[in-house]
Amino acid sequence: MKRQFLLTITSMALAAGISGVAHAGKSDDTLNVAIDRELESVDNYYNTAREGIVISRMVWDALLYRDPATNEYLPNLATSYKWVDSTTLEFDLRQGVTFHNGEKFDADDVVYTLDYVSDPNNGAKPARNVNWWESTEKLGDYKVRLNLKKEFPAALEFLSGPIVMYPNEYYAEVGPEGMALKPVGTGPYAVTSVEPGKRYKFKRYDGYHSSSPKGQASIGNVVIRTIAESNTQLAELFSGGIDWIWKVKPDQAERIEAQGQFTVKNSSTMRIGYLNFDAMGRHSKNPMNDVRVRRAIAHAIDREGIVNALVKGESMVVHSLCFPSQFGCTQDVPKYDYNPEKAKQLLAEAGYADGFEIPFLAYRNRDYAEAMINNLNAVGIKTNFEYLKYAAFRDKVQDGGSPFNFGTWGSYSINDVSAITSHFQSGGKDDYSKDAEVIKQLGIGDSSVDPTVRKDAYKAALSRISGEVFMFPLWSYNTWYAFSKEVDFNPTPDEIPRFFTAKWL
Amino acid sequence: MIYYTIKRLGLALLVALTVSFISFGLLYLSSDPAIAMAGETASDADIEAIRKLYGFDRPILVQYFDWLQRAMGGDLGKSYYFRTDVSALIGERLPTTMTLGVCAITFAIVLSVPLGVAAAIRPNSLVDRVALFLSVMGQALPSFWFALMLIVFLSVNLRLLPTSGSDTWLHFVMPTVVLGYYAAPAIMRLTRTGMLEVLSTDYIRTARAKGLRPWVVLFKHALRNAIIPVVSLAAVQFGFMLGGSIVVETIFALHGAGFLAWESITRNDLPTVQGLILVFSLFYIVLTFFADLLNAWLDPRIRIN
Amino acid sequence: MASSDTQPNGATSVYGLMKKRVRGHQGMIIGSLIVLSVLLIALLAPLIAPHDPYQQDLLKRLIPPVWDSRGSWEHILGTDHLGRDYLSRLIYGARISLLIGIGAALISGIIGTIMGVMAGYFGGRVDMIVTFMITVRLSMPVVLVALAVVAIVGGSLQVVITVLGLLLWDRFAVVMRSSTLQIRSMDYVAAARAVGCSTSRVLVTEVMPNVVNNLIVIATIEIAHAIILEAALSFLGLGVQPPLPSWGLMVSEGKDMMLFEAWLITIPGVALFLLVLAINLMGDGVRDITAPENRN
Repeated sequence: MKRQFLLTITSMALAAGISGVAHAGKSDDTLNVAIDRELESVDNYYNTAREGIVISRMVWDALLYRDPATNEYLPNLATSYKWVDSTTLEFDLRQGVTFHNGEKFDADDVVYTLDYVSDPNNGAKPARNVNWWESTEKLGDYKVRLNLKKEFPAALEFLSGPIVMYPNEYYAEVGPEGMALKPVGTGPYAVTSVEPGKRYKFKRYDGYHSSSPKGQASIGNVVIRTIAESNTQLAELFSGGIDWIWKVKPDQAERIEAQGQFTVKNSSTMRIGYLNFDAMGRHSKNPMNDVRVRRAIAHAIDREGIVNALVKGESMVVHSLCFPSQFGCTQDVPKYDYNPEKAKQLLAEAGYADGFEIPFLAYRNRDYAEAMINNLNAVGIKTNFEYLKYAAFRDKVQDGGSPFNFGTWGSYSINDVSAITSHFQSGGKDDYSKDAEVIKQLGIGDSSVDPTVRKDAYKAALSRISGEVFMFPLWSYNTWYAFSKEVDFNPTPDEIPRFFTAKWL
Repeated sequence: MIYYTIKRLGLALLVALTVSFISFGLLYLSSDPAIAMAGETASDADIEAIRKLYGFDRPILVQYFDWLQRAMGGDLGKSYYFRTDVSALIGERLPTTMTLGVCAITFAIVLSVPLGVAAAIRPNSLVDRVALFLSVMGQALPSFWFALMLIVFLSVNLRLLPTSGSDTWLHFVMPTVVLGYYAAPAIMRLTRTGMLEVLSTDYIRTARAKGLRPWVVLFKHALRNAIIPVVSLAAVQFGFMLGGSIVVETIFALHGAGFLAWESITRNDLPTVQGLILVFSLFYIVLTFFADLLNAWLDPRIRIN
Repeated sequence: MASSDTQPNGATSVYGLMKKRVRGHQGMIIGSLIVLSVLLIALLAPLIAPHDPYQQDLLKRLIPPVWDSRGSWEHILGTDHLGRDYLSRLIYGARISLLIGIGAALISGIIGTIMGVMAGYFGGRVDMIVTFMITVRLSMPVVLVALAVVAIVGGSLQVVITVLGLLLWDRFAVVMRSSTLQIRSMDYVAAARAVGCSTSRVLVTEVMPNVVNNLIVIATIEIAHAIILEAALSFLGLGVQPPLPSWGLMVSEGKDMMLFEAWLITIPGVALFLLVLAINLMGDGVRDITAPENRN
């Protein structure tokens, strides 16, 4: 066929084209990055996208900094901290730090920022990041006190990442709208241009404080562009217009790696996939109410097979509703092997020897969903599959409209079980089981500051969730990165690319 | 002529209102505005509060007229996603789409009209067959495939053009071709048909018999009459382009109003979608309105009808 | 020029004339052959498809077609991203494409014809209302309607056919209207009314038979149009839902591999192209044979 011929020529031309790529990146000290979505705002407190988190680490600093390799909390804008009591934290602040616009960093900035974002009228998001402290006090030019509402063990986790410090004079003057157009922070990169939703330009901040655990940035300029279409991102990479892309699909990544013209790396993320069931009958009386049916489904899904064939990379099957590195997470819970015969047996016991039909909802990874549907069909379960956009999916689920769905959760890269298990199983809008025991244990874990108490409580909760299959954990996700061979970049398992640690080769 | 103009204008406005109302209704039926506005982390209480505060519990007609009233004063509300004024947002993105649309329709006309004329002069010849084949090809080729193939050949391989973005006029070349080729077949066929009809009429034969040069006959007499339905069609196609630009803008990272429309729909950003529909349908209606006027000026018989 | 076409006095019959035109019209012959083949393939799908189009095999994903060095005769056209046999999906996909095309054209044809004929025949107020509705329909963003319907009712084959049917009636209406306008002023219509035939009788016996030619031409255009539109809707995720093997969906699913395993898109793309081309040729042919003066 004429088209087939044309396409053979195309692939040959493509191969020829790739080898002649001129890397503009290194020659003008600019790293060109592509992301796939529009950011609603660059202001750290007014966006919820992962890309927003990436930019936030570049432009702003928090009081502490979690080392991605050791998960230790290192001093950044604060030189030290102290738990005065279980709900009060005191910080000594670093002197000699300046914002990109010349303002000096001191206690006023900390107090203003924390007061502003914790005020619900200001609508900072996500709310769970900023709603756990009561007030801030300035104890001196470089000393502040933070009063929590109640025990909150994840406090340090938040203060070492998402809770960044804004310049009080500037922010008071321009507010979130101004900050979104002209961001100012203390971070290793300063923003030089913002075209909202389209393109963001960054320049290394040479006045960055030298004692920062983030280190000094090596690459002089970074340009982040939104390119929604994945093939266009690849074309830009091949033609040299873009130097770095991520979230590359596994099949694409494997072939790019095979061609050998670009560096391809894979890294795990904190995101896990899960199946959610209407255990309590919140949606209706349906087969999912019966624990035997849920256990049957747990045995019916070939998670290992799907991970090996589709998810690939550094992903693995998970057995509890959390990511293994998260504090409180344990794989020592009831497990389910892939056993379609057992599944059919359990279904028969529950009275569904001939199977049944049920609506099934998902918003991403359609092919994984289809593979799971295939598994379900094999044991007699038919699905009415509905594939929605995320917003519609979330609304329908939270409205009680879905007895069976496939979702994922990235925990906003917060390395703590409270960021995922408690979100789904503490009686909230996504909770379709509202089990008293689980809610109680999670409550204990969420509010204690004793690590042993927390671990035990979370283990109890996770065991019960897996035992009763209120939700069925599937696998962890991974991200593929592809970038120019002139770039030395190492991904981190928290899925937050740090361009300030990247270098030219 | 004046009466004709006023009549068409009134009709155009009525159409705009109807389209905007139907779209409004469809949007509200497909997603709950209170949830869309409240966002992910809002509690049930928050959502109910928003529902009361913004009057989302009122009958649809009331809500629509409320919105319409504000829209007529230029206030299209605030985007749920960007939290900025919808009018500012659209104002920022629309020029890209308009530029693309104008270039594309120009390209389509420049490509199709001469081709249609050539095909009409020699019916059933090679030119004619090629033209017809191209026109079918134009309608059966998926635009995203065409766009990406152009990128691979012209940008990745030959380095003649930039891949994506909207910085320079070079960035608009491929998007123009991709968007324009979709409208080209219809324009080509219509031109060809019109010319065929006109060329066989008496007055053309008379003109030829009078000894007028072929070019003069062709352009001054034949084309002027054949072009009438093409003008309307071009306007209609331009209107379609505003919708078809979604794919082109997505692939070429053009960040115009088409891309905004699609993203806003998937993000449940109702005010932006409503604003865009209003703007698009107004444009479309203005276009067809002017096309009608142009036709009426070209052919007085239409005015009398 | 068979002698049976000529009558004793040397003139050719109407039927003979048509037969002559058919034989001379290569395009129509080719087009019809292709369409008939696709129809046959669709009908005989269970007999000719080598595998079950829904059967997944995660260990045999993305195997190229047999002409590639990595291909094999077990899967002549390769496998897709879930390991399903591409040839079988292509064969069953013919059913879906034809169903969508014919179904949508049927629905839109009925709606559009009724509206167009009424407008053309009765004129006045009815005409104004119908013209108004056509303009509104042309100004409506197709994507939004499709999206809203899918959001409310969910995506499925029936929904897609209905949505397309509700969106493609405009050309039917326009053409039927102008055809009816032409016919209305004809003598035989006036004669029928003078004799006292009821309106509906006149419509059915006098008007309809004379607009049928145009109707068929438009119908073929809209069948092709519906098939292409379904592919576009699938690209946006609003068309037929997986795992149905619609050609448009196959193109959409293969998009991510476009730069690496181009055959995933080429194969269903070529199928779509051929079918649309064939339908167009057929339509042109019908028009040329029955009324060549209406060439468009």
